[in-house]
Amino acid sequence: MSAVSESQDIEQATAAIEQATAAIQQPDNKTRRYDRQLRLWAASGQNALEASRILVLSSSATATAVLKNLVLPGIGHFTILDSAVTSPADAGNNFFLAGPSSIGKPRAHEAVPLLRELNDSVEGEAVVKDVRELLKTDEGRAFVSGFSLVIAHNLRKDTLDELSKLLWADHSNPPLIAVRSAGFLAEFFIQYHERCVAQPHTDDNVPSLRIIRPFPALSKWASELDFDKLDPTEHGHVPFVIILVRAVEDWKKTHDGKLPSTTPERKAFKEQIAAMRKKIDEENFDEAEAQVWRIWRDPPVPGAIQSLFSLAPPSDSPNAVFHALLQTLNAFVAAPDGPGCLPLSGALPDMRTDTESYVRLQTVYKDWAAVEKAKFKELLQKGFPDLAPTISDEEIDTFVKNAHHVRVLRGRRWSEWDADKEALASSLTISPRETAAHLGLAALSALLNKAPGKRCRTGTSDHASRGCVADGSTVTVDGLRAEVQQLVGQDIELPEDVDTAIGEIARAPTADLPNTAAFLGGMVAQEAIKMITKQYVPVNGYCVIDMVDMWTGTVGGQ
Amino acid sequence: MATAAVLSNGNAADWADRYYHVDQILDRPGPRTDPSFLAGEEVKKFLREKSKILVIGAGGLGCEILANLALSGFKDIHVIDMDTIDISNLNRQFLFRPKDVGQPKAIVAAEFIMNRVPGVKVTPYFGKIQDKDDDYYMQFNLVICGLDSVEARRWINATLVNMVDPEEPESLKPLIDGGTEGFKGQARVILPTVTSCYECSLDMLNKPTTFPICTIANTPRLPEHCIEWASVLEWPRVFKDKKMDTDDPEHIGWLYKTALARAKEFKIEGVTWSLTQGVVKNIIPAIASTNAIIAASCCNEAFKIATSSAAYLNNYFMLIGTDGVYSFTFEHQKRDDCPVCGGQALDITISKEWTVERLIEMLVERQDVQVKKPSMATSTKQIYFQAPPQLEALTRPNLEKKVSSLVDDGDYITVTASTLPFDLTLRVQYT
Ligand SMILES: [Zn+2]
Repeated sequence: MSAVSESQDIEQATAAIEQATAAIQQPDNKTRRYDRQLRLWAASGQNALEASRILVLSSSATATAVLKNLVLPGIGHFTILDSAVTSPADAGNNFFLAGPSSIGKPRAHEAVPLLRELNDSVEGEAVVKDVRELLKTDEGRAFVSGFSLVIAHNLRKDTLDELSKLLWADHSNPPLIAVRSAGFLAEFFIQYHERCVAQPHTDDNVPSLRIIRPFPALSKWASELDFDKLDPTEHGHVPFVIILVRAVEDWKKTHDGKLPSTTPERKAFKEQIAAMRKKIDEENFDEAEAQVWRIWRDPPVPGAIQSLFSLAPPSDSPNAVFHALLQTLNAFVAAPDGPGCLPLSGALPDMRTDTESYVRLQTVYKDWAAVEKAKFKELLQKGFPDLAPTISDEEIDTFVKNAHHVRVLRGRRWSEWDADKEALASSLTISPRETAAHLGLAALSALLNKAPGKRCRTGTSDHASRGCVADGSTVTVDGLRAEVQQLVGQDIELPEDVDTAIGEIARAPTADLPNTAAFLGGMVAQEAIKMITKQYVPVNGYCVIDMVDMWTGTVGGQ
Repeated sequence: MATAAVLSNGNAADWADRYYHVDQILDRPGPRTDPSFLAGEEVKKFLREKSKILVIGAGGLGCEILANLALSGFKDIHVIDMDTIDISNLNRQFLFRPKDVGQPKAIVAAEFIMNRVPGVKVTPYFGKIQDKDDDYYMQFNLVICGLDSVEARRWINATLVNMVDPEEPESLKPLIDGGTEGFKGQARVILPTVTSCYECSLDMLNKPTTFPICTIANTPRLPEHCIEWASVLEWPRVFKDKKMDTDDPEHIGWLYKTALARAKEFKIEGVTWSLTQGVVKNIIPAIASTNAIIAASCCNEAFKIATSSAAYLNNYFMLIGTDGVYSFTFEHQKRDDCPVCGGQALDITISKEWTVERLIEMLVERQDVQVKKPSMATSTKQIYFQAPPQLEALTRPNLEKKVSSLVDDGDYITVTASTLPFDLTLRVQYT
């Protein structure tokens, strides 16, 4: 091909592309900007993020690292509540302060513009006040409770206690993430009464295909199909679902209507499928044999979901809709005219078959899923006549599609676990290193709480240059050990892990290390996103982090 | 400014208490610190004045890595990246703004860090890692990788392993590698020739989703099949030699429209712009928070290795954040038959009936080899060469010959490929 004709070809090709795409709108800038995250939490998650208002107590390196990871994906609003003045130490370890030029100025004021410039669509505000003062007034308490989520880093223990009690007092108050760190060790705890997760994204497998409980259209297809009359191509294209439904039907005819259950029976069943083959290399039959577990393992309701049915909804729960859906699910399973199992999700995995059969099968599944969803909605209307009209179709759809793995987490108040000596001691035996790190950090906050008032003012004293960090000079290994001993009980022998943890804490009791801050910034923001979007499953308990041996673990969950 | 006092051993940019937080770690050892740790001024001086670190990638992980290193006290940082900034980077690559779209990542990132963190020098290189030679890599104490390309990682890994001279301890450059996908990620420390290397763990990678051509051509069922049809079959048919540019919205638009038409014809639902782009660009979901976690653990390891202030990761940290926080820290084992660091040939046992073509297919399929278009030779014969064309034509008849007619039992085959940064030696045995 000559150079001229080649370039003409390319011109023509370009013209053809322009013509073809003229009518297509490419995604707007916002969709393009958020593309990589929309693939995880979709528009529904993004809308939830954009509607959220987050309060962060402190503008430490850790606090701004958390905020960075929330501003970037596009939360609606953040407020930093911090009365501290930027110290030389702050200017050295915090990326969201303007270096030495921020020294001496209110830290929150300095941080907010540098965080806001990460994303134009996020509102941010600095409130230069002491949270302890705010908690003293009704107005201040209302202000704190008015956010979607509150995050606190290294807050004094007594203040955190007061804050956590305030937020715990009412189910409609925001959840709280309490973060603590010292040197290479860190932990965070999410305080919530209850989290209901309709989209946990924990199971990639398509839920029950109803092979052992076929609905009419599926059953009809499988039983009416005359395998012998199919030509070899058609035979090699029968979807595995149809093969399995038919095999089960044939088996039941000769086995008193029972499914294969013992090992020899299952072996015989697999042989029965193998005998249906026309040729040795039919891939649809390979698939049928590989998917045969769907017959052994298809409970009408998975155990974890069954146990949710007996969960009493809290009286003043903000999750009334979720609980109504859950109870409706229970009613659906129990309904005498229903399938006796969870409603069909309508999803179908890819399988070896031709286009026509696949599309037909897909339609059969979708149509029946619509029938069962209608039944579900009828039961919802009957059971919850007041609530039902307020629930959107999308919400019902999401719930039904995820009915096989929805989650309900029940939490407790921050520090409640620390009052339970028996539980701590037992955890120290089961998960010594994780519990030791938690106890070490709890001991540190108890010790720092005993130190006289914090220094958050500008001033000329030496301590003022360290800004709003607690005074770590009173923290010793012996002091920490005594606090740990007091937490678990005097008669409990402390494992070596406790010495490791408190040794590390005593080394750097007030260090907010850049890498630890960045790590926590990612972890805590990720949990905040899960809490706000109600997608993916948040941590229950204390997530403990050790950046020396580089591990994470969770203790003290419900 | 009164507080900007100059430390006796520091430079002018170090104000008093600048390193108040980091110095708590550097002034005294912890319970798990190696006795060789030199607490105090000496280690600070090494970190802040002597050490030189290379960051490969200025993207999702790279932006985070640069900021963390700068705050940790590394002051001589180099960064390599061959990409320019795209609008879809802005949800996580926090050193970039809308005005920077189209600019080289390495340069914009370096400037941002130097503006924000006084006294830190970041030297950018806008280009490929393969442009640089051993002398270049030899100047660094440490290398941190935040890449999304398997090929580039294999290259830097092989390069650093090959650079190790047992007589010269300085020639061993610790390689810290991070990677993320959605809510999941991993960080690892590689001491070339000492610990398991990147190549040793190649089989841990997820196999990319591929669709058989016959499905795409004849029995499409999923929207993805229609998109593959548009990009793999229709594009070359319609546009001949015109190269598809997956970053060009008009090209994506054409693929989308073409896939959509096919989907309509077959009554398949679900072809969207976003899915089209995802399939043809093989897009991996990416968020700021996961990148922050993984980059922080990489930099934390760099800090611990550079200062000996605490034990470093041995050697693999894996995180899954979808269901609570789950992580797993373990020692990944070195492979004796690793083609990069193992020294032993890879044993393969095949049937005497296998043709050369079949052997090539097997190599392409294997997760622990991952090679595209391999060429093969023994020490005495050429078996098959993909290029140049004359040699390809000359060796093509061998494709149909039995391997056993060309290679004796127990003999060695050397495999080379343009995507493979080393020669792979196979020892062939017949069943
Ligand atoms: Zn290796």
